[in-house]
Amino acid sequence: MANILLNVLIAFLMGSILFGLQRKIMARIQMRPGPPVIQHLLHTFKFFVKESSFPKTAAMPFYIAITAMLCVIWVSAVIVGPVTQGSLLLIFAIYALHKIVEHNAGSSSGSPYGKLSCVRAVFSAAAEVPLFAVLIIIYFKTGTMDLSQIIGFQTTNGPLIYSIPLAAAMFFVLILSKAPYSPFAITKGKDIISGYETEHFGLLRGYLMISESIAWYMLLWVFLTVFIGGLNPLMYLVGMVILSTVVAFINATTPILNPNHSIMMQASLALIGVVGSLILLL
Amino acid sequence: MDITILGQQLLGYIPLGDIVLYLAPLNLFMFASTLAFTTIIAISKTETQVEAGFGTLKDREVKVDKSEFKIRRFLAIVCGLATAGAMITGDLFNFTLFVCLIGIVNIGIVAAVKQVDVLDAAFQYGLVAMIATLPLFGGAAMILASTGTISLLEIVDLPTTFMMVFGSLLLFIGVAGETGVAPFYATKAEMFRTPGSPFLLIIHLSSLLVIVRVIEILLIINKPF
Repeated sequence: MANILLNVLIAFLMGSILFGLQRKIMARIQMRPGPPVIQHLLHTFKFFVKESSFPKTAAMPFYIAITAMLCVIWVSAVIVGPVTQGSLLLIFAIYALHKIVEHNAGSSSGSPYGKLSCVRAVFSAAAEVPLFAVLIIIYFKTGTMDLSQIIGFQTTNGPLIYSIPLAAAMFFVLILSKAPYSPFAITKGKDIISGYETEHFGLLRGYLMISESIAWYMLLWVFLTVFIGGLNPLMYLVGMVILSTVVAFINATTPILNPNHSIMMQASLALIGVVGSLILLL
Repeated sequence: MDITILGQQLLGYIPLGDIVLYLAPLNLFMFASTLAFTTIIAISKTETQVEAGFGTLKDREVKVDKSEFKIRRFLAIVCGLATAGAMITGDLFNFTLFVCLIGIVNIGIVAAVKQVDVLDAAFQYGLVAMIATLPLFGGAAMILASTGTISLLEIVDLPTTFMMVFGSLLLFIGVAGETGVAPFYATKAEMFRTPGSPFLLIIHLSSLLVIVRVIEILLIINKPF
C-alpha cells in the first residue's frame, strides 16, 4: 500500500513539474519569461481550495463521477506499471478508458465547447488508439506483453528502440498528442476554450489536473521502460526531462492543426509505424 | 492452474455449459470497468445541451424527453452487459455474438433520437454493421473449421496455420465494422452530436474495449513463435 501511495505521489509531482518545465521552455523559445516551473503544481492545489460549482445543465451524477473515474484509471496505471510491472495490454486498456472519459467529461456538462471537444475526442480516438496499438509490435519482437519480461528481454538483447525504432517514433507521436499546446491537442484547442475541462470548476478541475499529471508521467514511463529498458530512478528522471524538452520545442514552434489534418497525420503515421515495423521485423 | 496467456497468469475459468468465462487480470479489469460505467449510466440523468439560437440572442435548450430517456437507458444497460460479456468470454463464438449485440444496441441507442443528421449517421453505421456481420461470423467459422474448437484456452496451444491467419483477418474486419472504429469512425462520430451523454459513453466504451479485447484474441490465435 505504501509503495502504491509513494508511486502515485511521485507520478503526480513529477508529471506536474514536467508540465511546468514544458511551459517554461516554450515561453523562452517564444521570447517570453513564462510562468515558474512549479506553476502547474500550484494551479492544481489552487483548485482544491476554490469553490466548486456545478452547471444546472449537467448530467448528474455522471458529471462528477467521470472526474473520479479518470483519477482511478490513472492510479490503476501506476499500479500496473511502476508498482507491479504487469501487462502492457492492461495499460493499453487503461489508455482506451482514458479516451472514453475525456470524451464524456466534455459532453456531460451540456456546454457547446465541451460537446465540440467530445466529438473531437471521438475523432482523435480513431488515430490515437492505433498509435498505442503500435505497442503490439513489441509482442512480436519479445514474445510477451508482460512489462517485467520486456525489461528482461532488453537486458539480454539491448534496448528495443534500436530494433523497432519506428514503433518508438509512433509512440512518441502519441506522447506528443497528449501534451498541452501540441499540434495534435485538438480536444483542448483554444478555439473551444479549455475543451472538455471548460465546465469543470474547483475540486473537479483539481481531480482532472491530477489525472493529467499522472497520465503524462505514465506515458513517459511506458516509453522509457518498453523502448530503453529498466532504468534507475535518476535515469528515468533524465529521460523524462529530455522527452518533455523535445515535446516543448515541437509545441513552441508548431501551430495546432485543424482536427481533420491532425487525425489524418496521426493515422498516416500509425500506418507507417505498423507496416514499417513489421517489415523491419521480417 | 498454470496457464499463461500473453504473459498473463490465468486466474481461473468458470465453465457454464458451452459458455466459458475466462479470468485473467486484463479481462477482469475491463469487465469491472464496464460494470462500473454501466452502473453510473443506470443512475444518471441526461444533460441539457445549450446551443445558440438562430436569429435571436436567446439560447436554445435541447433535452432528452422521458420516453426517449427510458428506452435509451435500457439499451445502454444492455450494451454495457454485452460489453462486459465480451470482455470475459473464453469462447470465440460467444465473443462474436456479444459484438453483434453491441452493434445492434448501439444503433438502437441513437435511433430513438429525433435529429435528422444523427439518424442519417446511425443509418450509415447500421449498414456498415450489417455488412460486417458476414466477415465477423465467417472469420469465427473459419477458425473453428481450421482448429476444431472455438475455445480460446484450446486455441492458445495450437500452432498457427494460414487459415487461422485468414480467419483472424476476417474477424478483425467484422469487429471493426460492428464497433464502427477507424476507418468507419467518421460516420459514428456524427452520432455523438446528440444529447444524452451517459448513453453516448457506452457506445464509445463498447467500441474501444472490444478493440482491446479483439487485439488480445488475435494475439492468442496468431502466435508468431
